[in-house]
Amino acid sequence: MNNLLAFIIKYYHWLIFFILEIVSGVMLFGYNNYQGSMWVSSSNAIAGKVYEWQSNLWQFFSLTERSEQLTQRNIILEERLQELRKENARLRGDTTRFLPNEQQLLNKVRWIPAKVVDNSTNNPDNLITIDRGSADGIERDMGVVCGNGIVGVVYMVNEHYSVVLPVLNRHSHISCTIRESDYFGYLVWDGKDPSIAYLEDVPRHAVIRKNYWVETSGFSTIFPPGVSVGRILAIYNSPDGLSYRVKVHLSTDFGKLRDVCVLNDPSIAERARLNAAANDSLSKLK
Amino acid sequence: MVYDFLKRLMQFIVLGLAQVLIFNGMDILHGAIPLIYVYFIIMFPRNYPKWAILLWSFVMGVTMDMFTNTPGVAAASLTLIGALQPYLLELFLPRNADNYIKTSIHTLGFGKFLTLAYILIIIYCVVFFTIEAFSFFNFLHWLSCMVGSSLLTTALILALESLRKK
Repeated sequence: MNNLLAFIIKYYHWLIFFILEIVSGVMLFGYNNYQGSMWVSSSNAIAGKVYEWQSNLWQFFSLTERSEQLTQRNIILEERLQELRKENARLRGDTTRFLPNEQQLLNKVRWIPAKVVDNSTNNPDNLITIDRGSADGIERDMGVVCGNGIVGVVYMVNEHYSVVLPVLNRHSHISCTIRESDYFGYLVWDGKDPSIAYLEDVPRHAVIRKNYWVETSGFSTIFPPGVSVGRILAIYNSPDGLSYRVKVHLSTDFGKLRDVCVLNDPSIAERARLNAAANDSLSKLK
Repeated sequence: MVYDFLKRLMQFIVLGLAQVLIFNGMDILHGAIPLIYVYFIIMFPRNYPKWAILLWSFVMGVTMDMFTNTPGVAAASLTLIGALQPYLLELFLPRNADNYIKTSIHTLGFGKFLTLAYILIIIYCVVFFTIEAFSFFNFLHWLSCMVGSSLLTTALILALESLRKK
């Protein structure tokens, strides 16, 4: 017994070493456990605060460029407004034509503006931290967009910060359609170039051309239809030859993402509930 | 004792903030980044209590993990080199070295310090990037991260070391 005690006292630092390594191992392999990993992620209060200071500083230096970007965006929107005015004038003449009430649809959607406090593009699995959390009404699985297009989906939520799973993450699969022809597929990233993503599973008979736009389909319960994703750069055959694999140039520049909007659409939650209920009743039939 | 603790805490905060605010954003050669916080572990003097080195390195590792969303990766690898540092240091000490000799270029000499630092850094980089590669393995990426990061880190540590007063 005394020998054992003497042994432990002499080598107790090795004991500490093994305990610490085991703790690290538990953290490493337990990361999939959502609750358990919360405190070692950048949605934790200390990390969030430090990143907030940093991004405030960087924001100050990038003001000129951002105002330039906003002006450009403004011009594009004005053009679109003009187009819609024309379209409106044309349609006013034809009163029998049915038009879904776009204005009403958009009014239902609530946008929560947020700032990006941490971002990366160089890993195969990037994550983005934003400065809004459950206190501001953010929940898991809400969509995130920016002025130029789609960003990603809320993955973890803390009280004042949340972590977003962006398109630039190999675990992200977002349902998208081709604007001009309505065929759909899902968007994935290969972990390499942060401005390129791939649209998989586009049917062989789809009409696709270079420079067509890709947008969200509205089939998932996360994004409404019509949020722009990017332009088509090239079209390949999928490895199994059954569908097309489309190379998309993302319209969002993830390298300088600052202001984003989190999308909060109550009707989406309603649809998700309906979906779940339908799946439930189907499984009962089996 | 208290003075030493405060000094380490300052080093901890300064090196940690430098890593998080400056070096984590650097992306040279697709993924190679300078890991300056390894310097914190290299600096421990001779006969510093081993349990304290282990705890410091673990806390440093968890803090770095917190900022990069990689729980356990840096913590496991830093704790490992924290355990090896005292034994490696013994091998490089000059004869009749002082019992509490500092680990720096001035006390060990340029060649010995460089070797000691590089061995610790390369062990750290190998372990760190190997654990990270569990989820996504691409041999060239792994190799370029390891070689690039270890060279950048060594260069940075030598630069900081030359600024340190005797």
